[in-house]
Amino acid sequence: MSALTPDWLNPDPWLTRAQNTGTRAVRQALATECPGIAELAALLSPAAGEALDRLATRAQFLTRRQFGRTITLYVPLYLSDFCKNGCVYCGFAADRRQPRRRLEHDDIIAEMDTLKVMGFEEILLLTGERTPQADFDYIRAAVALAAERFDLVTVEVFPMTREEYHGLTEAGCTGMTMYQETYDPAVYERMHRWGPKRDYQYRLETPARALAAGLRTAGLGALLGLADPVRDALALFQHVQTLRKQYWRSGISVSFPRIRPQLGGFTPPFLVSDRFLVQVICAFRICMPDLPLTLSTREPAWFRDGIAGVGINKMSIASRTTVGGYHDGSTTDDGLPACPSSARELGQGQFKVSDNRSIENFCAMLKSKDLEPVFKNWDAVYRDIAQSA
Amino acid sequence: MDSLTLGQHTFTSRLILGTGKFSDAETMLKAIQASGAQLVTVALRRFNRERPSDDLLGPLLTIKGLTLMPNTSGACNAQEAVKAARIARELSGSKFIKVEIHPNPHHLMPDAIETLEATRILAAEGFVVMPYMPADPVLAKRLEDVGCASVMPLGSGIGTGHGLATADLLKIIIRDSRVPVIVDAGLRSPADAALAMEIGCDAVLVNSAIAIAGDPVAMAAAFALAVQAGHSARLAGIMSQSEEAVPTSPLTSFLSNAGST
Repeated sequence: MSALTPDWLNPDPWLTRAQNTGTRAVRQALATECPGIAELAALLSPAAGEALDRLATRAQFLTRRQFGRTITLYVPLYLSDFCKNGCVYCGFAADRRQPRRRLEHDDIIAEMDTLKVMGFEEILLLTGERTPQADFDYIRAAVALAAERFDLVTVEVFPMTREEYHGLTEAGCTGMTMYQETYDPAVYERMHRWGPKRDYQYRLETPARALAAGLRTAGLGALLGLADPVRDALALFQHVQTLRKQYWRSGISVSFPRIRPQLGGFTPPFLVSDRFLVQVICAFRICMPDLPLTLSTREPAWFRDGIAGVGINKMSIASRTTVGGYHDGSTTDDGLPACPSSARELGQGQFKVSDNRSIENFCAMLKSKDLEPVFKNWDAVYRDIAQSA
Repeated sequence: MDSLTLGQHTFTSRLILGTGKFSDAETMLKAIQASGAQLVTVALRRFNRERPSDDLLGPLLTIKGLTLMPNTSGACNAQEAVKAARIARELSGSKFIKVEIHPNPHHLMPDAIETLEATRILAAEGFVVMPYMPADPVLAKRLEDVGCASVMPLGSGIGTGHGLATADLLKIIIRDSRVPVIVDAGLRSPADAALAMEIGCDAVLVNSAIAIAGDPVAMAAAFALAVQAGHSARLAGIMSQSEEAVPTSPLTSFLSNAGST
């Protein structure tokens, strides 16, 4: 990696281990009481890939021990697709010729009320980069509307200042998500052609700013496939560990977005196979048994069904990656909002939704696997105090 | 009758159940019934009046004779726990409250300082306060001083299944306590529960070990038997441990022989 990579993040010292670990070291890593970065490297190795079912067995045991037989559910709401970044892989990138839209005040309420009827208690609000159409005040207003309706309100928007994150906390925001996309600075530079997002360091430091400002949770992740996924996984682990030590009262979670087809026909430089994605998820679970691990509807139904409870303990469902889209009148037979067709998602969304099942079908699947879908796993009473403090 | 007294309430069962981590409410209810538990704890954060299928409180209210002990899991400090306790009392109708304050959402270790403060406030408000606490003998006495109905020291970390890792500290707490001592967290198997009762705990609280067992209902019944066995053994008087074999003929028997002074 280039000199831009901070020492605390640099995965290079562990790469050899990740590439050349033997079966004995994999067994040792699986048996270690307190696994760390060395064990993660071993569990990301090809030798560990040969023992994938052993990893999965261990991961399922640890997931069940920490989270029980439950899967917590959340839903994303895209507020705006205006953007001024030039991310080569993103359906919202500024040079995509597509109609742009943002939800206005009444639209936001209508969308949120629809999501409430669907049963969600945790909402993730998303936008692109900071623009005049979707600036801090716009986000804060949306957070306040969400806080009136949902127990947990998190944002996945542009990087903010510490003061701005404090403002969101006061408005009722409980957490934020900020993927570094790739921890490889050289690849990061190539992938982000223009716009504020080119600032690797500022983005890297964003979760720490948010937690310092009072947000309770930070979600981290790398967009697997942009760069060497082993290096990104190792660096991501270091990032999580560093934040946990500094912000010991905060909740850190990790997501595993794998780059999927979207507008512009971007082909990811690295192929992340289904088997390797399972290996990464299991390796994280084994090395961080108490960390919430999330998987979105980027992944197809069969994959999500298989990994639910095997490492993953939190999932989105009924997601739309277009702006709004829940309150558009289309409903299923049971009167609830219908999921969009994949063709529509591919044509307009930030990325393609691969699991288009209804909540009911998804919950039925979970129950068939002896997993309880949990919509509410926190209470706004705790957030209200943070607001008034 | 041998019973467990918490505040003004008495219970014949010494097994308390947690209600999270089950695969569905039906299994949870069957496990409670199989366990014979008369007291269960339920997190305020799992109350969901807007979606009954996601609500843990509603199903629990259907069991006659069951006392609910809401808990404040999710609270990071005393202020949050106190507010949560007041709301939980309104919603559940129960004066029992398990104070559970863990500022770190990952390892869920209890905050001793905030727990003491919340217990002080809630006990003064008339709650039957059951604080989840580190296995700290000094803290146990401090909690007793501010009016808790019991202390609930951890056997080991929540959900870890490491059993009575804190056994030496628990023994001190049990020896010195004027309120019931209930081991909460870390128990893996009925053997752990039996051991907790044998060393003198008044009750145990179990969740993960039952909820994630292969057959939660059967495991709940097994824990009930173990708790009863451990408690009965304690009452019966357990032989003491010794590193050396005790000879049938005492080694000092020569002292009683003629000629000794």
